[in-house]
Amino acid sequence: MSEAQRTPFVESLLEAAAQAQLPGSGIGWLDAARRENLDAFVAGGLPDTRMEAWKYTALRALGQRRFAAGDAQASTRAIEMDRYALAGIDGPSLVFVNGVFRQDLSRADNLPAGLTLQPLSQVLKGDAEPLRFALSRHYRDGGDVFARLNAVLAGDGVVLRVAANAKIAQTVRLLFVGAPADAALASHVRQVIELGEGAELSLVEQHVATDSHQNLGTQVTDIVLRQGAKLRHVTLQDASDASTLVRHDSLQLDAEAHAAMYALELGGSLVRHDLHAVLAGDKSRLDTGGVFALRGRQHVDTQMSIRHQALNTTSESVWRGVADERSRGVFRGAIVVAEGADGSDASLSSKNLLLSAQAEIDTKPELEIYADEVKAAHGATVGQLDERSLFYLRSRGIPLAEARAMLTAAFCRAVFESLPDEGLREHINERLMAQLPSA
Amino acid sequence: MTNAHDDTKNTMTTETTERSDLSATTLRDNAEVAEALGRRYEAGFVTDIETEYLPPGLSEDIVRQLSALKKEPEWMTEWRLKAYRHWLTMPTPDWAKLNLKPIDYQSISYYAAPKSGPKSLDEVDPKLLETYDKLGVPLHERAKLAGVAVDAVFDSVSVGTTFRKELAEAGVIFCSMSEAIREHPELVQKYLGSVVPTGDNFFAALNSAVFSDGSFVFIPKGVRCPMELSTYFRINAINTGQFERTLIVCEDDAYVSYLEGCTAPMRDENQLHAAVVELVALERAQIKYSTVQNWYPGDENGVGGIYNFVTKRGDCRGNDSKISWTQVETGSAITWKYPSCVLRGDRSVGEFYSVALTHHRQQADTGTKMIHIGKGTKSKIVSKGISAGRSSNSYRGLVKVEKGAEGARNYTQCDSLLIGKKCGAHTFPYMEVKNPTAIVEHEATTSKISDDQLFYCRSRGIGEEDAVSMIVDGFCKQVFRELPMEFAVEAKKLLEVSLEGAVG
Repeated sequence: MSEAQRTPFVESLLEAAAQAQLPGSGIGWLDAARRENLDAFVAGGLPDTRMEAWKYTALRALGQRRFAAGDAQASTRAIEMDRYALAGIDGPSLVFVNGVFRQDLSRADNLPAGLTLQPLSQVLKGDAEPLRFALSRHYRDGGDVFARLNAVLAGDGVVLRVAANAKIAQTVRLLFVGAPADAALASHVRQVIELGEGAELSLVEQHVATDSHQNLGTQVTDIVLRQGAKLRHVTLQDASDASTLVRHDSLQLDAEAHAAMYALELGGSLVRHDLHAVLAGDKSRLDTGGVFALRGRQHVDTQMSIRHQALNTTSESVWRGVADERSRGVFRGAIVVAEGADGSDASLSSKNLLLSAQAEIDTKPELEIYADEVKAAHGATVGQLDERSLFYLRSRGIPLAEARAMLTAAFCRAVFESLPDEGLREHINERLMAQLPSA
Repeated sequence: MTNAHDDTKNTMTTETTERSDLSATTLRDNAEVAEALGRRYEAGFVTDIETEYLPPGLSEDIVRQLSALKKEPEWMTEWRLKAYRHWLTMPTPDWAKLNLKPIDYQSISYYAAPKSGPKSLDEVDPKLLETYDKLGVPLHERAKLAGVAVDAVFDSVSVGTTFRKELAEAGVIFCSMSEAIREHPELVQKYLGSVVPTGDNFFAALNSAVFSDGSFVFIPKGVRCPMELSTYFRINAINTGQFERTLIVCEDDAYVSYLEGCTAPMRDENQLHAAVVELVALERAQIKYSTVQNWYPGDENGVGGIYNFVTKRGDCRGNDSKISWTQVETGSAITWKYPSCVLRGDRSVGEFYSVALTHHRQQADTGTKMIHIGKGTKSKIVSKGISAGRSSNSYRGLVKVEKGAEGARNYTQCDSLLIGKKCGAHTFPYMEVKNPTAIVEHEATTSKISDDQLFYCRSRGIGEEDAVSMIVDGFCKQVFRELPMEFAVEAKKLLEVSLEGAVG
């Protein structure tokens, strides 16, 4: 790597890597994986916008920033847990503050039968062998720079397993709290989630902030659904509006597995979410849905790819975006139907509202089809609220601003209508109403 | 295969028979069938006439020699050299979904012309005219009958231009680019490179440095061009690149419809074709540009065929102007082409209608760009991709709405049809919107010819291949409708021939 690429960002993270005393060090394969990813990170640096995956998200400004390695007070900070409570969701939970596991705030005792829920730091102290496959991944694609970083520096995270045929009734909650420290921090969280054959789980992941902070968070998640397993995964991203958050999810579905993945993106200054799903088993099904509602100078970039590579697989994706003020929303939704993946049925819709002359929306639905027994369709729009609907509401005495807010919320809500959990739906609605431009 | 063959014969015979005479008896004429079978790529013949080459290779000297051969003025030579120097600094683009071997630009000869320069149509080598005859170019008397003015480019030098006088009476300038550089330098200097700058992209820069000829059209204020203008390109010599440059300027309130057809003979080597087309539409002007591209696609195993890297761009400079691109792409081993519209004038309109068919090992990465800059600008994109064999067919498009494009409107529809299990059909639409009053819509579908449709046709006694071409024709109707009539007939036949052997 040339010296020119050794930006303050790269330097500060290299320093962090040199100092890091990560759990699991000494395990040969883990050390090797961390080293190789570090080499790749050093060689590749941060991508620029000439790289297709980062075309609409410039990292130049981030490259000039430095991040401290860790938060010394992370394990003692007082956190008002009530602020982040979700009505009706009081099952098992793991809580992390600035990337550090907090036993005192979590609820991981008396777990229902079949559920394993542990912080990664703890698992790495014992038998790490079951994690070998997930944690020895090398991220070869230059666009996966934050996944590389995460592989090098993640010392904590979530290990969640559901035994075959165990159906977990309670929703499991993962809470990531960001808090301001003396300097901007970088924290890295790694999650490994596996549902055994016929297992069922509902999972809520929350990203919140105690106060405004400029931290960087990276998160890498591997999810595997064995045959017939069912997962519902809802991410509520409400991070600090000055923070940078990069999430990288990989999802594998075996035969007849069914995953429903939802994301609500409200917070963050620079947010990037990669979701790469592979429908690897026959008759597997994936539903994805997401909303970003942005204002200020927020920049949120969602990159989704769904690969159909087995027979009779289905995917349905519904994404909505709202960009106000000077914000920018980016969406890429790629559907790939591999050769021989006959009977694939894929649909994707990306609809967006552009509310301000300074805002921008870039959307790119893609189809890459290599089989002929398929149904694949996508649609994308960028526009405004329907004038006639507005007129209708106003003719019934609803002021313009309120009518706009109502219609915008309804536009977004469509994504979450299929969520069975009413409390969660209500929470989402409230947060949306608070974030969306109103009167 | 035996059964499918009968149908094949029919379709191919259709192609060789006079267009007016499609009676069933002719179709089943055995002699003709036999003849047709020997002629898969109908336009694949080589005309044996003496050709003048520049030695292969590219350098400043070659650019100077080329310019000198064409007796160009100093400013043109400098313009080429500037483009050449810029080209040297540019990397070959690799973003398209294409799989190709690196091109050796030093092994290509950048100029090939028939040795004796023809002065009028009568002096044109009869063999040459025969070539056009086989291609069905309505040149010479046929031109008058067909009512089409043709500027035929035969390996880089424009050999004959018809209907000059009638056009001149209307004030229309329609001539070869070399002639325009000599006769109308002020117009060329004003507009050449103003839409596609010399350094726009790798292939445009290469073209700017070495373009050999092309067409120049100028429609003055208020003139509606009295006839449809047409150019027929044909690559003949071995190891030559075809680099033509077309410039069409429509002044205020003017209108022109321009047709372009392309054919190349069969050869085992890959030939390079890097053209640049620039359109300029001033106030209320309208330009309709139609292409039927039938370059040699290579054989079943992907040997040979044209590499078609084309930059086409229209600039709607005036308010209320309109540029419409219609293309039918059935040829070329590789197609890399994105006819675009820069909608600068208020209320200007851009349209793109495309049928791209790939078969065997052909690869196409094609689409359009609509750049909305002016207020109330509108664009419409209809793209139909058909993939068969082991081919790969991608639509890549950009719709960009700039901040000032108040009330801009775009509608895009991309449909792909797959025939067979080994081919690929891809859609990569980019939408970038910066104005909150704009409405941008994109829809895409991918499907195959349904068994129900086929069964319906078959049950009514229609052979499988005919049924497929009927269904494909229906799939493409929206685009064919936009083509001038005679092109629509040709396009339909081209699809039939290109799809032959795709089913069964």
